[in-house]
Amino acid sequence: MESKGDERELKEAGAEVLPEGRYGVRIHGWEIESSKASILKSLQRQEWEEKLGTCHLPEMIFGNSSLVLKHLNSGLKIHFNAFDALIGWKREALPPVEVPAAAKWKFRSKPSQQVILDYDYTFTTPYCGSETVEMNSEQRRTSEESNCNLCWEDCEEQLDLVALASKEPILFYDEVILYEDELADNGVSLLTVKVRVMPSSWFLLLRFWLRVDGVLMRLRDTRMHCVFGDGIKPIVLRESCWREATFHTLSSRGYPVDSAAYSDPSTISQRLPIIMHKTQKLKILDVQ
Amino acid sequence: MSDLDRQIEQLKRCEPLKESEVKALCLKAMEILVEESNVQRVDTPVTICGDIHGQFYDMKELFRVGGDCPKTNYLFLGDFVDRGFYSVETFLLLLALKVRYPDRITLIRGNHESRQITQVYGFYDECLRKYGSVNVWRYCTDIFDYLSLSALIENKIFSVHGGLSPAITTLDEIRTIDRKQEVPHDGGMCDLLWSDPEDIVDGWGLSPRGAGFLFGGSVVTSFNHSNNIDYICRAHQLVMEGYKWMFNNQIVTVWSAPNYCYRCGNVAAILELDENLNKEFRVFEAAPQEARGAPAKKPPPDYFL
Repeated sequence: MESKGDERELKEAGAEVLPEGRYGVRIHGWEIESSKASILKSLQRQEWEEKLGTCHLPEMIFGNSSLVLKHLNSGLKIHFNAFDALIGWKREALPPVEVPAAAKWKFRSKPSQQVILDYDYTFTTPYCGSETVEMNSEQRRTSEESNCNLCWEDCEEQLDLVALASKEPILFYDEVILYEDELADNGVSLLTVKVRVMPSSWFLLLRFWLRVDGVLMRLRDTRMHCVFGDGIKPIVLRESCWREATFHTLSSRGYPVDSAAYSDPSTISQRLPIIMHKTQKLKILDVQ
Repeated sequence: MSDLDRQIEQLKRCEPLKESEVKALCLKAMEILVEESNVQRVDTPVTICGDIHGQFYDMKELFRVGGDCPKTNYLFLGDFVDRGFYSVETFLLLLALKVRYPDRITLIRGNHESRQITQVYGFYDECLRKYGSVNVWRYCTDIFDYLSLSALIENKIFSVHGGLSPAITTLDEIRTIDRKQEVPHDGGMCDLLWSDPEDIVDGWGLSPRGAGFLFGGSVVTSFNHSNNIDYICRAHQLVMEGYKWMFNNQIVTVWSAPNYCYRCGNVAAILELDENLNKEFRVFEAAPQEARGAPAKKPPPDYFL
């Protein structure tokens, strides 16, 4: 899951590893750091339930794990965490997806006082990362606020896949799971972010992956790429690509429909049609 | 040393049996399991264990903490297979112990002891990988159909993998189920293996998936009262602290897979009951890395796009 490039490659790229006890690298004015911890304990889960106003959270929340990319000169901080992602889930609040067995269950005799729960148990989130500008500890603004000094603007540029395909040495690599749920053995819901840092750029992929066995698959990918420059403000490109397909559609196109064939999203993503795609550039406004 | 004792020693080293040995073991196990009741009687003292999920080295840690079988009498609440790397060795060791010491270990069925679920969540692929054919998977899944559905400890503690069912109000109703079949998609047998207690409902709840019951505190109170039992002991759900009481100590969840899926960092627990039904939870962590044979390799950095 994790790897640091070798000493010589780091040195040649002008990069250095973060001090003992931290996991990451410093390169071209960026500090890129991952941290991984256990899933939340019961007490912390309760706190999250209260803060998020829900009594249903993913079974496994890696609430103390994160990926943070800080640009020291501009104060820009791009980070990925489970809490913000679950805020997104709560807001989007998709209607529940019925599993195949539900059809049969409609004919079961109903127990008296039956309550039907109706939250989105797939934990689908539109989350595509969090960003803030931290000038110092007192002066802090987030892109969520109205006086934001950060915004993502749609752009014509596309990710430079040719550059990204080149086998530059990887100086730092890690994958962090943010949350995961087994849908009570009806599939998988998984939010992860992975990052690789090369001498010329960093690149990351935040992926929400959902498979409801026998029903549907959903892939929401956010890719960010930043080519190192010497400007004060870094240029960060963000591509969002959402894909979705039902097992029914896949079967009509002649693809296999057993869930075991869909355990790794990276190998099957092409089979899922794109339902949303956009590329944006991060704009950092000058603080008044 | 008998063949069976030799096989147990071999399995304890996490070495799988030959296909022909698995076949013979399953035949012997079938003869024992077919005689068991759907509500299998269990005497104290007994140690109750929750989900294992193929985490073989963590199960060895469990035996280190709880004591070896047959010295310790065990009740396993199902979900032996899937998710972990060693479902084959885990299940075969438990099954071999069952055949060798039928009165000192009770195995009941979890929702993963099913043909359909194991084809998606690991056991099928593992059998195919380790044996080059699906015969061992067939022998094992045929045995799954014979596993009992629940256990009753000293007539006072009802044990089941998942939970209760609106179709079942008495233990006698469980006793009449014809269990020798694949786990059905609905009905009482399905509910016993799949349902969950839920704080926010009082009576019955239906999962947002449209299948799967949730049951509240009043359901547990009336079940325990009608069947004259002290509490229910079940597994099925990950609990970070290894065990969790609900509804005023009327039901407890026991989870026995530490560091679940090798990444959650949770502790696990087993519940020891002495001859007077006094309870002691033994909490334990995952087996240390050096006890796992080959060290975990870090996958190389990947040029993902």
